[in-house]
Amino acid sequence: MGVTVLQQFPIVENRTGPLTIDVLTKRISALGAIQQGQFLVDCETYTSVPQLGNQRTVHVLHNSEQPATVFSILETGTKTIPLATDGLFDLLMMKMNSFYTSKKLTKAESKGPRFEIGDFLVKLGSVTVSQNFKGVLVEVEYKPCVVPAMCWELMREFLQGFLGSSVQSSPPSYLQNRMQEIYTPIDTIHQYLEQFTMYRKTPGMRA
Amino acid sequence: MAYNSSSVNISVEAPIENQIQEITYDGQEIYQAPLTLSESLAKYAQKIDFSKALNEINVKKESGDTSDDNKSDTDSKDAFQSSLWPWDSVRNKLRNTYQEICVLADVLAIAKDKHYMVLDPVQQEPIDTKPMVQIYARKKALTGAASVLLTGAERLKNSQNEILRNRSTPDFHIELLRLRQNWRLKKVSNTIIGDLSYKTAGSKYAQSGMFEVTKAEEEEKASSPPSSPVPVSAPAKNNSSLRVTVPSELQGVAYIEVLCQKDHEDLCSANINLLGSAPATANPDVHWQQKLEAAQNVLFCKELFNQLAKEAVQLQAPIPHMVVGNQIMATVLPGIQLVIGLCHSTSSEKKSSQQSTPAPSKSDHDHVLEHSLHQLLREVHHKNTHHPFPHPSSAPLGPSKKRYLAGPMAADRYELLEMTQSETLLEQIIKQAQHFFMRMRTEYVLDTIAKEVKDPLISSHWNTLNSPTQSCVKINISTHGYDAVCRTPLVIHVGEKSLKCICRDGKVMHMSYEPQELRDLIFCHINQHQILAVQALAKTMGWQFLGNSNHLGLGTVEPLGNASSCLLASPIGDRLIAVRCEPQSGVQVSVAHSPRTDFFPSRLVTERKWEHLGGQFRDVRLEKMEGRNFLHKMELLMASLTSNS
Repeated sequence: MGVTVLQQFPIVENRTGPLTIDVLTKRISALGAIQQGQFLVDCETYTSVPQLGNQRTVHVLHNSEQPATVFSILETGTKTIPLATDGLFDLLMMKMNSFYTSKKLTKAESKGPRFEIGDFLVKLGSVTVSQNFKGVLVEVEYKPCVVPAMCWELMREFLQGFLGSSVQSSPPSYLQNRMQEIYTPIDTIHQYLEQFTMYRKTPGMRA
Repeated sequence: MAYNSSSVNISVEAPIENQIQEITYDGQEIYQAPLTLSESLAKYAQKIDFSKALNEINVKKESGDTSDDNKSDTDSKDAFQSSLWPWDSVRNKLRNTYQEICVLADVLAIAKDKHYMVLDPVQQEPIDTKPMVQIYARKKALTGAASVLLTGAERLKNSQNEILRNRSTPDFHIELLRLRQNWRLKKVSNTIIGDLSYKTAGSKYAQSGMFEVTKAEEEEKASSPPSSPVPVSAPAKNNSSLRVTVPSELQGVAYIEVLCQKDHEDLCSANINLLGSAPATANPDVHWQQKLEAAQNVLFCKELFNQLAKEAVQLQAPIPHMVVGNQIMATVLPGIQLVIGLCHSTSSEKKSSQQSTPAPSKSDHDHVLEHSLHQLLREVHHKNTHHPFPHPSSAPLGPSKKRYLAGPMAADRYELLEMTQSETLLEQIIKQAQHFFMRMRTEYVLDTIAKEVKDPLISSHWNTLNSPTQSCVKINISTHGYDAVCRTPLVIHVGEKSLKCICRDGKVMHMSYEPQELRDLIFCHINQHQILAVQALAKTMGWQFLGNSNHLGLGTVEPLGNASSCLLASPIGDRLIAVRCEPQSGVQVSVAHSPRTDFFPSRLVTERKWEHLGGQFRDVRLEKMEGRNFLHKMELLMASLTSNS
C-alpha cells in the first residue's frame, strides 16, 4: 500500500456531479490513464446506547481495495482507536445491535471509476450521504513509496497537474503529524472518515 | 377228499406233566401224584436262604415264653429226625436269629436298667503321636497327589501343543484380531465390513473402499485350474481361516506408469493397450493382507489418475494435453512428451500382446516420477486434514494461515488473488519432468565439452542437495598445471525450462532450454579464460601487461562471440608478445622486437629514436612448439624471450 492522499474537488456552479466526474475522467485519460474497474468506500456509524455510560461512536468502513478487511474506528470522547479486522466484524456488529445502534441516515459512501497511470492509482469518487449527492472526492495513491514525507511533493505536483489550483500546498491535516511514519491502509480510512464527517455536517453540496 | 400217500397226519400233544412212578404189568402207568398245595409251599420255603434275606423281621418275644417255645421246638425237632421234613432248615435259621435277638435284649437290659450288671467303660491307652512322622506322612501323601496333578497337567499341555502345531489354519479370532490391528473394521448386523479407502487420511475421492470379511470354509479344495493335467499337485495355498471380499472394481493390481518419450509422428494412433503389458497378475489364493493392500493401491492409483485427468482437461497449456482412455499425454518440452497411464490388471483378463509395435520395456518406466506423483497426492491428502496451528476459535477451519491474516493485515486484491492460485498435480509433475530433462541435457552438454576440449580442463561439480525442480552445478575452467595461476569458475542453476549462469564477476545470463546456448556460453568462457590465464602467467613471469581488449573489433568477424587479445612486454622491454584468442579457431600468438632490428634511417625518418616504435610482428607456430598446453607453451616462449642483459 502506497501513500494515499484524498482531495476534495469543488464542483463548479453549473455542473452536476456526474458531469464533474466526466471532466476529470477526460483529463486523466488524456494523461494516459487506463480505467481498471470501479471502487467503493463506505462508512456506517454506530452510537452506544445511553446505558453504557459515555457516548461512544464506532465507525465501520469498507474499502474495495482491501476486500477482505473491515476497518473500524472507535471514538470515545478522549481517544480514537482504529482497528483492521477480518470480514466477520460486520456480523459481530449485527450481534451488538442492542448496545450500538446505527443511524441509517448517515451512511456515507464514495464510489466511482478507478484509473491506473504508471505508479499512480487515481480514484474519482462521488460522495453520497444516505443517497444524497454531496460532492466529488479524488483519491490518489503513489504505490512505490510508503513514507509521506518523501513523496508529498511529487504527489502534489501530480495532483495539481489534473486537478488544478484546488490543491493546497500543505499535506492533508491527518498526514501533517505523520509525515515521517510508514503509511498503512488504516491511514486512508482515517482520511476518508475525516472527509465523510465534513460532508455529513454540511447540508447540501460542499463548495 | 383223498389222502395222498405223501401227506402225513401230525398230532400235537402237550408232554406228560407228571412223572411216571411205576408201570404195572398190564401197562398202566402210575403217575406221581402232583404236589399238594402245602407240599409245594414247603418246597419253595426250603429254597429261602435266611442269611441273605434283606428284610429281617425282628420278632421280640418274652424271655419266658421264648424259652418254653425253644424247648418245645427242640422236642418237636427231635421227634422228627427225618430229613424229609422240609421246614427243618427254616426252623434252624429262625432259632439262630431268635438267639441273637435274646442276647441283644439282655445287653440292652443291662445297659439300661443297671440292676445286676453295669457296663463300665475301659480307659483306652492314648495313641502315641509322633509329629515328625505325621509330617513326613503328610508330605509323602501330598507329593504323591502333586505328582498325579502335574502329570495330568503335562499331558494336557502336550496335547494342546500338538493340536496347535498340527493345525494348518490358525484360529479365526486370532486372524480377525490381526486384521483389526491393520485395517478399520466394524460390525454391521450380521456381517463384518471394513474400509480400505484413504478417507480418514484426507482423501475426498467418492469411490468407497468397502470390503467384507467372512469365515473361510473348513473344507478348502485346492483351486487347481481345470486345464492342468495334474489336479493334485498344487497344495492349498490359502491357509487362513478368514476370507476378505474386495469390490470387483478394486480387484487385481494397478500402478501408474510414467513414460518420457520423444515425439511420435502418429499421435492419433496411440495404442490404448500400449501400457497394458501388465503387472504380475494377482494370485487368487493370496493372503488377505496382500489382497487388501493391492486393493488399496488400486484405489489410490484410480484417485490419482482421476485427478490428473480432470486437471489435464481443465488446464490450458500452449500445447493442449490429451486424455485418451487410460493415458494422459502432456508435452514437456518441444519434442518430448510425458505419458502417464493407469495400468490395472485383474487376474481374469490376460492381456495378449496385440500391438504391432512392441510395448515399451519396463526400463522406460520412470519410477522416480511415479513416486513423485504418489507423494504429491499424499501431500494433498495431508493438507486436507492437517490445518496449521493455531486453529482459529471463531473462524472456519480451512483457509490457510495467510488467508486468516489477510483481513487484519489489510491485504489488497492482488495479494488475495495470489493466495487463491495453487499448482495442480499435473503442473507439478510436468515441472519435475521438465527439470529432469534440463538436467540431463546440461549434463550431456558439459560432458561432451569436457571430452572435446582438452586444453583448458572443464570440471563440473553437481550439488548433492537439490530439489525436484532446481539443481545447481559448479564449473571450473582451469589449465592443467596452472590451477593456481588462473581459474575461471561458473555456477549454473538448472531450472525447469531455463538455465541461469552466474560468472565470477557477477554477470548473470539466462538461457533457454536449447542445449546449443549453453555450449556457446561455455566456449566463450573458455576463450576468456585463455586470455586471463595468459595475463596472470605474465605477471608471475615478470612480463609487463601492456593492454588487452575483451571484445576485439579487429580482424575477421567471429561466428561465435568476440575475439579477445592482450599485449605483453618482456621485463626489460625488448620483446613484445601479442595474443589473440578466438572462440572457434583458437589462439594466435605473435612476437616482435621492441627496438626495431631493421631500422635504417631514411630521408623521412632520420633520428635513431624512432627505432623504438614497434617492429614487425611475426607469428609463432604454436603447434610446432613444445609444451603440454597453451599456457605451458606461453611460459616457455616467455622464458625463451626473456634475456638477461
